Amino acid sequence: MAAFGSFALIVALALAAYNLLAGSLALRLIATGQPTRISPERLADTARRAGIAIFFAVSGAAFALVWATFANNFSITYVMEHSNRALPAAYKFAAMWSGQEGSLLLWAWLLAGYGFILRLTHKKDVKLYAYAGTILAGIQFFFLLLLNFAATPFSLFPGPTPTDGNGLNPLLQYPEMVIHPPMLYLGYVGFSVPFAFALGALMMRYPGDKWIKITRSWTTVSWLFLTCGIFLGMHWAYAVLGWGGYWGWDPVENASFMPWLTGTAFLHSVMMQEKKGMMKQWNVWLIFATFLLTILGTTLTRGGLVSSVHAFARSPIGNWFIIFMVIVLAVCIFTYILQRDHLKSEHRIESLVSRESSFLFNNLVLLTACFVICWGTLFPILSQFVQGTKVTVGPPFYDRVAIPIGLFLLLLTGVGPLLPWRSTSMKAIRRNFVLPVFALWATVLVCLFAGVRPWRNGVFNRGDFYALVAFALGASVVTAVLSEFVRGARVIAKQTGRNMFSSTVQLARRNTRRYGGYIVHIGVVIVIIGLAGSAFNTSSVAELGMHSKMTVGPYTLECVGFTQDSNRDYNSEYALLNVYRDGRREFQLTPAKRFYLASDQPETIVAIHSVPAWDLYVVFEGTNPQTGQPIIKAFLNPLVGWIWFGLAVIVFGTVLALIPSLNPAATSPLASTPRRISVEPPVLKGGD
Amino acid sequence: MSETAGLIAGILLLLALVIYVFWPENAFAAQRQKTQLDFLLERKEQLYENLRDLNFEYRAGKYPEEDFQVQRAHLEAETAQLLAEIERLQRA
Amino acid sequence: MRFARRSSIWIRTAEVLLLVVAVCFSLGATNAGARANNLSHRLMCTCGCAELLGECDNPGCPMRTEEMADLTAQIASGKTDQQILNWFAVKYGATVLAAPPARGFDLTAWIAPFAVFAAALLGTFLLIRHWKNSPGGTLQPNEVKNLADLDPTERAQIEKIRRDTGIDGGV
Repeated sequence: MAAFGSFALIVALALAAYNLLAGSLALRLIATGQPTRISPERLADTARRAGIAIFFAVSGAAFALVWATFANNFSITYVMEHSNRALPAAYKFAAMWSGQEGSLLLWAWLLAGYGFILRLTHKKDVKLYAYAGTILAGIQFFFLLLLNFAATPFSLFPGPTPTDGNGLNPLLQYPEMVIHPPMLYLGYVGFSVPFAFALGALMMRYPGDKWIKITRSWTTVSWLFLTCGIFLGMHWAYAVLGWGGYWGWDPVENASFMPWLTGTAFLHSVMMQEKKGMMKQWNVWLIFATFLLTILGTTLTRGGLVSSVHAFARSPIGNWFIIFMVIVLAVCIFTYILQRDHLKSEHRIESLVSRESSFLFNNLVLLTACFVICWGTLFPILSQFVQGTKVTVGPPFYDRVAIPIGLFLLLLTGVGPLLPWRSTSMKAIRRNFVLPVFALWATVLVCLFAGVRPWRNGVFNRGDFYALVAFALGASVVTAVLSEFVRGARVIAKQTGRNMFSSTVQLARRNTRRYGGYIVHIGVVIVIIGLAGSAFNTSSVAELGMHSKMTVGPYTLECVGFTQDSNRDYNSEYALLNVYRDGRREFQLTPAKRFYLASDQPETIVAIHSVPAWDLYVVFEGTNPQTGQPIIKAFLNPLVGWIWFGLAVIVFGTVLALIPSLNPAATSPLASTPRRISVEPPVLKGGD
Repeated sequence: MSETAGLIAGILLLLALVIYVFWPENAFAAQRQKTQLDFLLERKEQLYENLRDLNFEYRAGKYPEEDFQVQRAHLEAETAQLLAEIERLQRA
Repeated sequence: MRFARRSSIWIRTAEVLLLVVAVCFSLGATNAGARANNLSHRLMCTCGCAELLGECDNPGCPMRTEEMADLTAQIASGKTDQQILNWFAVKYGATVLAAPPARGFDLTAWIAPFAVFAAALLGTFLLIRHWKNSPGGTLQPNEVKNLADLDPTERAQIEKIRRDTGIDGGV
């Protein structure tokens, strides 16, 4: 299987090289109009088909690796290092992407998958797709180069074949870990497609902004995957690492967050280009930056450049990525300088108080946040370079710097939708803002009444203060968004005589992107409320003998047993805890600790009881060697469940935004070309 | 699967892909240059969209009457110009 | 005079803001347990787990135990938070601090984000103002022509647009 896999990867590399070279040559010939023996269009089509063929070749290689893992073929070093006989089947899949080489293969396979779809749907705009496909082939060529020469997944184990493998890192033996990396990678890799389109459109001086419409669903889908990937990672950290939190501002987490921020900025600011032909240069650079940040992210993880909880082993592969980034950046700058006169803005912003300028500010804040995270992540390297000593830039830094910026962004989330496009008078603005401002102050009062205390005994309490601001802004954003729905639905109800509910549904279906986007905003607010809950976390630790008790928040935990167990994969020890509230027994929790035999590594199995108000989060810390009794750490984490619920809302909103809006006839060029007078009644449609 | 069998499978894959890529296919889609008219029609679609949007927001109560009149006049003037250009090109 | 009064309001606001910032950056928890918890979240565990001292979950981690013991001893000795952090930086190296200290070159770590934010904010304001003031911007209300005043072809054109975009049609 190793031979087949290696061979398939070489074939894929050759195909990518052919696609890149023949594609570029064909496009060059078409652009210059030189007479040739073979039609350049025919050449371009063979290049496209080579791009499609890459997918089959890389699939062959991926299949070979999975097959080898399932067949326990430990003669392949990668399989030996990341799997063992006792590993459950689902995790044998996960083993494919748990190491450097395998995860690069996954990356290349997903990239080939995206490229496959792109090249199959080329009839939408053959020329633009030819450019995009060729650029994508360049990216594929790089990753296949890595897989063939720098990180070969099929290299054979030197010496006699071991009888069993090292097994999968136990921290990764968790359901989320099976889907978190593919999700994250689908997001990372997906941004290559809008990048290729943007660069291609710029290279060919594509007239108009239709390429944005073509790539809209690609961008949205990539964004959705990246979002899900990040949240699954958070949930994994929360449920598996056992420190009671979900986000540690670790370089790898930051690396996934940075392209998310620029990608989010891009999703917003392309609307300005689509609608008004503005911010073309800005958008091009945003998507360039997003793509480069996805590569930077993987460079940080793989190159061992920064110390991190989940970095791969230090390896020279980082240099490959740095060279690749330099080349990509050079191509971007070169193309931009050559073609920048093509990116003239068609309109100007007319007012400081308009939807347009709110998008500008939204971009500003998102990019500042991205800069802050990039700065914090790279500052240790900078510090070492400048003053010779390495420093740590950890959570306290981000808590102070990033939270205020995040709250400002939350404010804009509410303000933006309220502002009309172009410009308007102060009178209209005041009218739109009455309700949200009222909601804001009402929430402040309710929170103060409910015991949120930004000042405690004359001492300023930062956590409570931020939480208060987050709750108040959240309430006002939700009010603003809901009032948008109500206002729109009222218009439809008045026109059609339907009830408010079906009018709201109709409203959303008429402009899925806009109202889907609003639902995403509500989801973001829910997530932020969940995050703000962390200001009120409490915890306690105790050594619990039989029938001894501890309390955390309103709960009392009583130990009713601790025991040990073992199977062929791991040994485990766990405690059995009865949980009482107000003197009544409510439920039982069994936090545990496992020791995996193959990898000789421990893992915490956290027991979580989740209700909307809070999570009771109990960790088996270990046993006291003197007494043999379990040490239990219990956390009461308010509102954590809201984070995962908010994600569900975000997914729902994004999927809604991906569904095409109703009444395509109303917007099709046929319906109202001058030669054909439309007979159907004109259609009312809410816009973006 | 033995290594030889793997290699044979690999070569078969290679052959299949090479045949697929270089199959003399004459029905490939031609690369059409986008015309000025295509471009203007796209623009028109967008301007119509903006007008519908403006109209909707006005009805939803986001614009006072006066602002609405100004914005609409502005957009309509732009659209009228565009339509005249489209008509000219279509007649030509 | 008016300028003087207005500027004094600004100065006072700035003073209040400064005070708020100073308060929020200098005050912390007071009792020993809470102090240990607070400080353990401002220090890193040095076992290589790259986690905060207070959150290291490496079972049987030798460094965590040692650092926590040091921390308890330092708190008991009556030092201020800053003195304790300095002591740790001397014993374990600068990387033990979870955030860079606000002095010397490390100060740039703290200043740069806010400086960039302020510069970008200012830049955006200036840009929008520049765009707004440049010619070809907003149409003035008095430029709006009545439909009846237009010549017939233009009027037909606009009427057609209104029909197509549903402005006078309704649903």
